[in-house]
Amino acid sequence: MTVQTTQRRGGGYLERPAPSGLADVIEIILDKGIVIDAYVRVSLVGIEILTIDARIVIASVDTYLRFAEATNRLDLYKHGGKDLTEAVGDLQEGGSSKKTSGAIKGVKKAITGGSKDDDEDEGRPAKKSSRRRQSSDA
Amino acid sequence: MPEPAPLPEDVGYYVYGVVPADAGVPDDLRGLDDAAVQLIEVDGIAAAVGEVALDRPPGRRADLMAHSKVVDALADSGVVVPVQFGSVIVDRDSVRDEFLAANGEHFARLLSVLDGTTEFILRATYDEEQVLAEVVREDPTIADLHRHTRDLPPGTPHPDLVRLGELVSAALERKRAYDTDLILATMRPHVLDHVERAGGGVDHLLDVAFLIDRMTTKQFEDTLEGLAEAVHERIRLRLTGPVAPYDFVEGQPWG
Repeated sequence: MTVQTTQRRGGGYLERPAPSGLADVIEIILDKGIVIDAYVRVSLVGIEILTIDARIVIASVDTYLRFAEATNRLDLYKHGGKDLTEAVGDLQEGGSSKKTSGAIKGVKKAITGGSKDDDEDEGRPAKKSSRRRQSSDA
Repeated sequence: MPEPAPLPEDVGYYVYGVVPADAGVPDDLRGLDDAAVQLIEVDGIAAAVGEVALDRPPGRRADLMAHSKVVDALADSGVVVPVQFGSVIVDRDSVRDEFLAANGEHFARLLSVLDGTTEFILRATYDEEQVLAEVVREDPTIADLHRHTRDLPPGTPHPDLVRLGELVSAALERKRAYDTDLILATMRPHVLDHVERAGGGVDHLLDVAFLIDRMTTKQFEDTLEGLAEAVHERIRLRLTGPVAPYDFVEGQPWG
């Protein structure tokens, strides 16, 4: 199996990495899937390689220092960043109609409050850290 | 079986997933230890398993890759309920009776829900410099603390530095909540379900698994492409998939 980072459409902004390495695979399958009842199962292997989970953010002094240092490391004022709303707004006003895809309309709708049916039974999207299932029978 | 079967008590069954009994398993599909993938079936459903020595050293890297390869191959050729990595059942009878038959209805329902679907995983990260610049620009208190603490040597646990980090962290949380809502609202019309995954780091925005109807994969991808273009100055979007529906089989039948 060859390992390539693929980008399907030329000049596309959406990155499409091909999952190939161990890290990618761990990322995808770690702790995922049906768990077989311990009475039936004789082993659950592989736990030891998974102690590398560096994704947990603990709100500690160290973490805050990390955020502070990341902030202070930068020469911030040379960045004239735009937030998402501005970026999409520019795109609309600038008449960048070469890509009037559903996404832009969707984002626009989201920004402008959208039509009622967007929100009817969904409520707000789940916040970070909450796992959420849409189906009513979950 | 060409090779002589090892003694039964030394061999267990590594379980990759549950599939319909009539699932076509590619002939050359091999998993852990290069063992052929076979089906053990009961009442219309089957466990995709491979023989595995019970005393083998567990959890090698190659095992993870093999697990992933088999489960994705099964998903590719039909529908599969993935089983968690590293699950071994001691004999065929237990696979049949205690795993499959005991949870038959649950598996059948999952298989029917997942039929015709596929999973993609989206990771959204901020351009760290951009988003931190926003944070400083948008909050006078942060800007002030930034000015006062920027010349402190790194690693100094100065109270102002801790305070700055705390405020930046909270500001990023608010940005994440806002941008997450926006991304999910944009994608919602094109997905059947979504599950947020754990993530962390200064540049973390959102890790989310989407369950997609295979027939609308193109619309899903096009929408994401448009979104990626719209936000590219401050957000990177990376899409992995299609993969087996690892994130959509939660809820144990024996819960």
